[in-house]
Amino acid sequence: MKRFAALSPRTRQMVFLVVLAFLLVFPFLDTGQANIDIAANCAAYAALALGLNIVVGFTGLLDLGYAAFFAIGAYAYGILNSYQLHPAWSSAWAPLAAIGFVAKLGVGAAATVHFTVPFWVMLPVSAMIAAGFGVAFGAPTLRLKGDYLAIVTLGFGEIVPIVVRNWSSLTNGAEGLNGVAPPSVFGHSFGINSTPYYYVGLGIVLLLLFISLRLKPSRIGRAWMAIREDEIAAGAMGIHTTRLKLLAFAMGAGFAGLTGTFYIAKLQTATPDMFDLPVSIMVLVMIVLGGLGSVWGAIIGAVLLQLLQAWFLPELSALVQALGNAVHSPFLSNLELTSASELIFGIILVTMMLYRRDGIVPASRNEVRLSFAQQDAAVSRGALPAVERLSRACAQATTAGAPAALAVRDLTVKFGGLTALKSISLDVPAGGIVAVIGPNGSGKSTLFNSITGLVTPAAGSIDFAGHQLIGLRPDQILRHGVARTFQNIRLFPNLTVMENVLIGQHTHLKSGPGGIVLGLGGVRAEEREAREFVLELLAMFGNRLIPRIDQGVAQLSYANRRRVEIARALATRPRLLMLDEPTAGMNPAESLELAEQIAGFRDLGLTVLLVEHKLDVVTRLADNVIVLDYGEKLAEGPADVVRRDEAVIEAYIGRGAVNA
Amino acid sequence: MTGSAIFLQQIVNGVSLGAVYALLALGFTLVYGILELINFAHFSVFMVGAFVALVVLQAFGLQGQSVVLHGAPLVLVLLVALVVTMVASGALGVMIERYTLRPMRNVKGPMAMITTIGVSYILFNLVLLATNAQAINFPDPMPAASYHVGGVVIRLKEILIWIVSAALMVGLNLFVKRTRLGKAMRAVAQDAEAARMMGVDVDHVVMIAFFAGSALAGAAGMIFGLYYNFAQYSIGYTAGLRAFTAAVLGGIGNVPGAMLGGIVIGLIETLGSQYIAARWADVIIFSILIGTLVFRPAGLLGMLAPNRS
Repeated sequence: MKRFAALSPRTRQMVFLVVLAFLLVFPFLDTGQANIDIAANCAAYAALALGLNIVVGFTGLLDLGYAAFFAIGAYAYGILNSYQLHPAWSSAWAPLAAIGFVAKLGVGAAATVHFTVPFWVMLPVSAMIAAGFGVAFGAPTLRLKGDYLAIVTLGFGEIVPIVVRNWSSLTNGAEGLNGVAPPSVFGHSFGINSTPYYYVGLGIVLLLLFISLRLKPSRIGRAWMAIREDEIAAGAMGIHTTRLKLLAFAMGAGFAGLTGTFYIAKLQTATPDMFDLPVSIMVLVMIVLGGLGSVWGAIIGAVLLQLLQAWFLPELSALVQALGNAVHSPFLSNLELTSASELIFGIILVTMMLYRRDGIVPASRNEVRLSFAQQDAAVSRGALPAVERLSRACAQATTAGAPAALAVRDLTVKFGGLTALKSISLDVPAGGIVAVIGPNGSGKSTLFNSITGLVTPAAGSIDFAGHQLIGLRPDQILRHGVARTFQNIRLFPNLTVMENVLIGQHTHLKSGPGGIVLGLGGVRAEEREAREFVLELLAMFGNRLIPRIDQGVAQLSYANRRRVEIARALATRPRLLMLDEPTAGMNPAESLELAEQIAGFRDLGLTVLLVEHKLDVVTRLADNVIVLDYGEKLAEGPADVVRRDEAVIEAYIGRGAVNA
Repeated sequence: MTGSAIFLQQIVNGVSLGAVYALLALGFTLVYGILELINFAHFSVFMVGAFVALVVLQAFGLQGQSVVLHGAPLVLVLLVALVVTMVASGALGVMIERYTLRPMRNVKGPMAMITTIGVSYILFNLVLLATNAQAINFPDPMPAASYHVGGVVIRLKEILIWIVSAALMVGLNLFVKRTRLGKAMRAVAQDAEAARMMGVDVDHVVMIAFFAGSALAGAAGMIFGLYYNFAQYSIGYTAGLRAFTAAVLGGIGNVPGAMLGGIVIGLIETLGSQYIAARWADVIIFSILIGTLVFRPAGLLGMLAPNRS
């Protein structure tokens, strides 16, 4: 299976076409209605798995109430295609009757309305209803931390079947909806023949597969994966995390709602227990088996588990029972392996998590390694194109708005009883480089976190280019042109170099989900240009990163990870670049090389705020140095002046050294 | 019964039920406080505990409600059953931690939570298969003595449940507050890395937390069986979710909060069933869960574990 992911795109396309051709002729192979029915159920679960994969696999939100959205889509179709509701007829229904959405039953005052909304209309409508519930439910809860979300969705997944059981007038309660009308095409009802359902199911899977494959390597898909990998870093890169999470949640719910309609049209009955927790868990097992975040894995996992339940376990049971009868073992002849399917689910979950977290079809990295010729070209072109682009962005921003100066006034930050920053004021003039130094724990990173919205100050103001930053979300602050790196490097570890830096461009790309799925020309051009810009940015570091664009950043050296993080920050086209110990972990030669590059950023028109321990780097770069100690400003001035300041020496080295 | 007597009676019932939830909630809170992990396997440990107690009581020759003991033999039998159940459940919890969760400790995202779901499913289905999904009659050796206080019936059973639950909770609280190990536990909950540097054996602390939490879950399982006179594979799920709600309501990671939350949820369940409708009780409880998380994530008493991110 791993080898499948390693095949060339062309071979994979061939494999896909062969499998698809087989699936298309499958009903004509005359293997019997039962097998076609199993195949149609496989399709329904594959569609469900694709939806949950967006929520859990792409975005990393554990949704344990997924079946609730399946139920909502199912009941939406069931209620509008059965005799469950029969309001009195009035002429207001006539327009709906004319388009075939309702029918008039009986005559005169006793006439009632019979709902007959066509299946094909209900497919998208159910998807939208379920997505609407997803938004309504997700909006207040997606702010919660990931593990809380699991339990909240679990609660929601419990509530929906209970409501369905208890709201008998709408749902016919625990007995379930009966006599749901099957779909029809041009007046020909699907009836109970499995073949048409199989083809509809196959079509749905292909559609959802297409949507998933389009979204994954796009601006939206990358933002989802960034949230999964590191939500704080995602926010700091300009991603509106709550909104993106809501989109994933609603999209997953939509897939489930659409599938619910298909499933119920096929069964022609719906009962509340079809949507209880075990269904949510089963779909989760499918995507864990296939590989979280793996689109193909979701489908394969769903098919395998369906076959296990519908075909393998019954066959095996029959075999074991026959064996039991032959050897006169009552234990074997009464063994019912089908009831062990949930036990097998549990074993799959634990085994996969412990031994094969990527699943049987690991999610593919969508990056293609550059050929040597391309690498050469990218490196020899050098950083000039990136420099041009960045300086253009800076120039535009500067002419558009106020100068990119940062003014911090009387900033105080408290953690419980501890005052981490005490009334700090500092200025970073537009186009200047200011360095903040100080011993560990002096409040440097807290200062960075306050400016970028990760910490809420108790008092003070932070003004950047005419905008008050306090109270804004990290993504809003980034949109004002403030980008940062983190002291402990917060890249998206399971994504490639290319993907990491592309995520930096999130706010500069405009593609929405619709355009991405339709593959509009603008979207494709934008994506192409974004990738070009990444190569140009990486070329600033010569050939250090260019040959590694398809590698996961977790495999890079420490220094290279720092470089990727700087490239990611630059990709946001910032006006103020905040670097938290950029040369940490680099040798002296690498540190000076990076210092040169940082000096180059200033020449582009960027304003730089720097936390740095290496004093030679600080001396080389900074116009002004601010020394923090215990949250207070100890000294401020040009580097060589500050270096001789007695208080500074004392803070760094201790009083004994001063006296000596 | 008069209206007020019914009300008081439901309070008595609610407190008994709440004691079970509180004991169960403590395990969630201990583990969450230390590992920030929602341990779904806890649901099943509770259920397994009920069955361990059932087997032990049966081993004493108690079947159903036919044998009634008095005095010292009753106390002895119940005490032995309680200790065996708690040790067995605690050991189960330690094994779950050691073999399925420790390897996941540094894996980010929902992976560890998914593992606990898997473990829960395995235990749940093993018991389901072993018992053929039947509810098993739980031995009840307690005499049917009861006391009438102002129209309210309080059974001996209930008094015993209250005493045992209170003793366990006070014991846990003293353990966490007063002992060296308890202090280490609180230190790990605050900052595992710093605690490790101070010489705290984090693995050991996590193991103790799992043991204590699971032992209490086992005790809760036994009390549940004695109170309702049955044990079934499915009891873990409903009780577990309510206990989790209790832990969240009280402020997850907060030991007194879990106790308070348990009692509140027990009362809501009995009073809600009495005055609204039993079939809506779950909806009410889950709405409280969601509402608490959305509007007051720190719970009634506040979170003791810091918000690490």
